[in-house]
Amino acid sequence: MEGQILPPESLTNEAIAERLTSTALESLKKRMIKKKPLIYLELNGCSGNIISLLNGQNPDFEYMLNSMVDLKYSNSLMAAEGEQAIDKLINAMDGEYILAVEGAVALKNNGLYNIIGNWDGKPLTGLQAAKMLGERASHILAVGACATHGGVSAAKPNPSQSVGLQRVLPDKNMIKLPGCPVHPDWFLGTLAHLLLYGEPETDNLDRPLMFYSTLIHDRCPRRPFFDRGIFAEKLGDKTCLFKLGCRGPVTRVDCPTRQWNGHVNWPIGDNTPCIGCAQFGFPDAMAPFISYDTTRVVKNE
Amino acid sequence: MQNIEMIRMQINYLVTQAHHDIYTLATLSDTSMKPQILQRLWDALSTIQFLSEWLANQAKTSYPILPSQSSYPVPSGNLNQSPIPPITPSPTLPIAQSNQRTFTIGELATFTGKNGRPAYIAVNGIVYDVTNNRAWAAATHFGLIAGKDYTQEFASCHAGQQSILATLPVVGRLV
Repeated sequence: MEGQILPPESLTNEAIAERLTSTALESLKKRMIKKKPLIYLELNGCSGNIISLLNGQNPDFEYMLNSMVDLKYSNSLMAAEGEQAIDKLINAMDGEYILAVEGAVALKNNGLYNIIGNWDGKPLTGLQAAKMLGERASHILAVGACATHGGVSAAKPNPSQSVGLQRVLPDKNMIKLPGCPVHPDWFLGTLAHLLLYGEPETDNLDRPLMFYSTLIHDRCPRRPFFDRGIFAEKLGDKTCLFKLGCRGPVTRVDCPTRQWNGHVNWPIGDNTPCIGCAQFGFPDAMAPFISYDTTRVVKNE
Repeated sequence: MQNIEMIRMQINYLVTQAHHDIYTLATLSDTSMKPQILQRLWDALSTIQFLSEWLANQAKTSYPILPSQSSYPVPSGNLNQSPIPPITPSPTLPIAQSNQRTFTIGELATFTGKNGRPAYIAVNGIVYDVTNNRAWAAATHFGLIAGKDYTQEFASCHAGQQSILATLPVVGRLV
């Protein structure tokens, strides 16, 4: 078959991502695809996703900015500030653009708990910006736990009444990339797919299947310990972390094979349980992150 | 020592099977068989890794790994002997208990999965054991804790998924 990738060509995550990057670059050179404008909005959150993205490799973030997209607005990365920055944001709305949003939308007091700038002398709330920009975007990427389902921002008692982006844009299609933070490959890979081939195939919760299709548990290197009922009793034990509260069995994402920080390691590889950060409902539904009383045996309680 | 010999035989068997699978894959014309063979290779590799970890631990400490948190209590007299590791996977062994036992809601509340207790939950009047269910890590499941009646919660999240209940070991009835 033509175009099939066979060994000895490397099939590692890095190699696949690099092939994607070089294909995008080639297609751009041949003018088969065009750079698209990207607006990156940070709402109610911790900027953790943009920091995670700066850790991207193949494509790295700088490459993404310079070659794949035309970054119109990102309050963390752009040089302009204040009203000048907001002017750029408003002007970018005139053309076609891809919208990426990290952070939740704060609803309390009509959105006043999250102000992203001043527009015409009035505060521009995250709620206003999400609705306004979301309605006109050609594609929407909800990046990270807060944007996809409220995440940490919406954790109890949720003083800002934060919700996920879909709640304020109920009729819009969006690709959801849960994770706290998002892995740079999940975001940059999805974006590259969007530019090269259009929207990737997603599951019924709008997550791209290419990253979110397997349970952590099903690809966990410690799975044989689970199957034999051999469980870790404390952090640092090299066996199955299930009794300590590992959320790998309910979390659907590719951490075991992808790994973090330049594909070097991941929580279970470092003997701490998965806390289910890429599962909807994180963090409340994934609590407690660690329990010792399930492994401690007290007689005559 | 006999255990080590058994594990060595197991590893040799797995390696032979993996070699054979690789040969089959290389000569395969019917691609529909491929996922199954790949899955078997993956499983074989995982088991080899598990067994080698066990051997490494044996070599390092001379103490055996005790399956101390499995659902079967280890008799204390056995502690100094080297236990035979289970070679066959046993993720869903039925609990050898009468499933005619009855629970009041108060009794059920003591089975929280903590301090060595099993983790039980009730749905539609049946009490199930979720101690070693993979979706109930640390005896919690999406914010729910073991020891309670979750008939309504099950109906709202898993409507039409009776098959989930069918896989759980039944321990009795809620009265």
